[in-house]
Amino acid sequence: MRTGWFEDVKNPVAGLAVAAAVAVVAALVAVFFVAPREATLGISQKIFYFHVASAIHMMVLFALCGLCGLAYLGMRGRPGRWTAVVDGLGVAAAEVGVVLGAVVLVTGPLWARKAWGTWWTWEPRLTLSLMVFLLFLAYLALRAFAGSDRFGRGVASGLAVVGLPALYFIHFAVERWGGAHPQVVFKGGLQNPDMQVAFYASLLAMSLVSATLVVLRLRIERLKGRLDALYLALDRRSPGA
Amino acid sequence: MRTLGQFVAVLRKDLTIEFRSRDILYPMALFSFLLVVVFSFAFLSDPAKARDYGPGIVWVTVLFSSTVGLNRLFDRERENGCLWALLLGPVPAGAVFAAKVVGHLLFTGLMEALTLPLVLLFFDLPVVDVPAFLAAVALGTVGVSLVGTLFSAMLMNARMKEVLLPLVTYPVLVPVVIAGVKVTALAVGAPLAEEPGPWLRFLAGFDMVFGVVTLLLFERMVRT
Repeated sequence: MRTGWFEDVKNPVAGLAVAAAVAVVAALVAVFFVAPREATLGISQKIFYFHVASAIHMMVLFALCGLCGLAYLGMRGRPGRWTAVVDGLGVAAAEVGVVLGAVVLVTGPLWARKAWGTWWTWEPRLTLSLMVFLLFLAYLALRAFAGSDRFGRGVASGLAVVGLPALYFIHFAVERWGGAHPQVVFKGGLQNPDMQVAFYASLLAMSLVSATLVVLRLRIERLKGRLDALYLALDRRSPGA
Repeated sequence: MRTLGQFVAVLRKDLTIEFRSRDILYPMALFSFLLVVVFSFAFLSDPAKARDYGPGIVWVTVLFSSTVGLNRLFDRERENGCLWALLLGPVPAGAVFAAKVVGHLLFTGLMEALTLPLVLLFFDLPVVDVPAFLAAVALGTVGVSLVGTLFSAMLMNARMKEVLLPLVTYPVLVPVVIAGVKVTALAVGAPLAEEPGPWLRFLAGFDMVFGVVTLLLFERMVRT
């Protein structure tokens, strides 16, 4: 059987992983040794670099998951290589997204406790992150319990697609609901150039880490598909065995 | 025109079965009634504070009770593969979906007509702005029915569908609850510096967007 890049088990994902590792070390150096200590918040401000990078990537992965769902339904789930790629990418994005969402929801309150004096407020962006996290969890619950056949995949894809407009409405509602919140802290952006270096370094590191995880997860999904196909072929060759 | 006739036929079929068996309406109404009773014991009866939690109880009741109906909505179609037979016929999937949504809407509306007056009565909530309250309930229920019917149909054959359905629909329906609670609070005279108008438009927008999205998705998902 001829295998393409996608099926190949010895796919050079190692290069991506090494790049991610280097970027993470570089980002840590930039965050802790290049960027200055923030005047009022002190060392606790450094959590911002990880928090925001995770949040941005969580949103990107959610959008990716939604687009994959749309593409999957667009292809009507017909068995084929691209359907498998799109479907696997959707799961991979959702699973990595849940991990990043957990990072966001743990680092956020830690920072908020220091900066705002409270662990949790129903601030629009906080609430939106929580809802993205919940939608991701529902998507994975569907994948886990509604069956991994075409039917289960279709339902999960449908949820991912519905999630996109839903998030828009959630964001809008929460923003109006909370009224005017004065604590939008980083509205003015980062003024200090060293802080900007640290921020972009952690953004890049998070991109590479997310990409590595998504690619690895995608390959697991693909190998699963191949294993299933092999079992089927085995069954066909030796019936009753 | 033909599609409209097919829509009416499916809807009439569902209504006929329902009014002979009452196996959606009865559990839904009873459940919502019990829910209201439990809620009245769950909160200390302080008439002055009823305005704070009353609107929330209205919407939790709507959401939970409509889920009971949604869980049963496609049960009849599951037996003997009725839904697939229905969709195999020369009927657009959209007509079947619309009929199911309107059916659920009617059942939920009946349940609300029985239960929501009880909420207002038990919690002594005087509705000052009746049109806004009714509009919020109507628009909110449409949103719940649209999203709920889509996933109810999709999860029809799933294991643990009773658990999965709320897991999937509640995050999507959060905006409906937010807007509904706001309008209801305003309608019972909560001192908020807001108008119900923008929230009602928000609910109407939600219904329109999800009306289109769910209709298109239903067609796609049943044929996937």
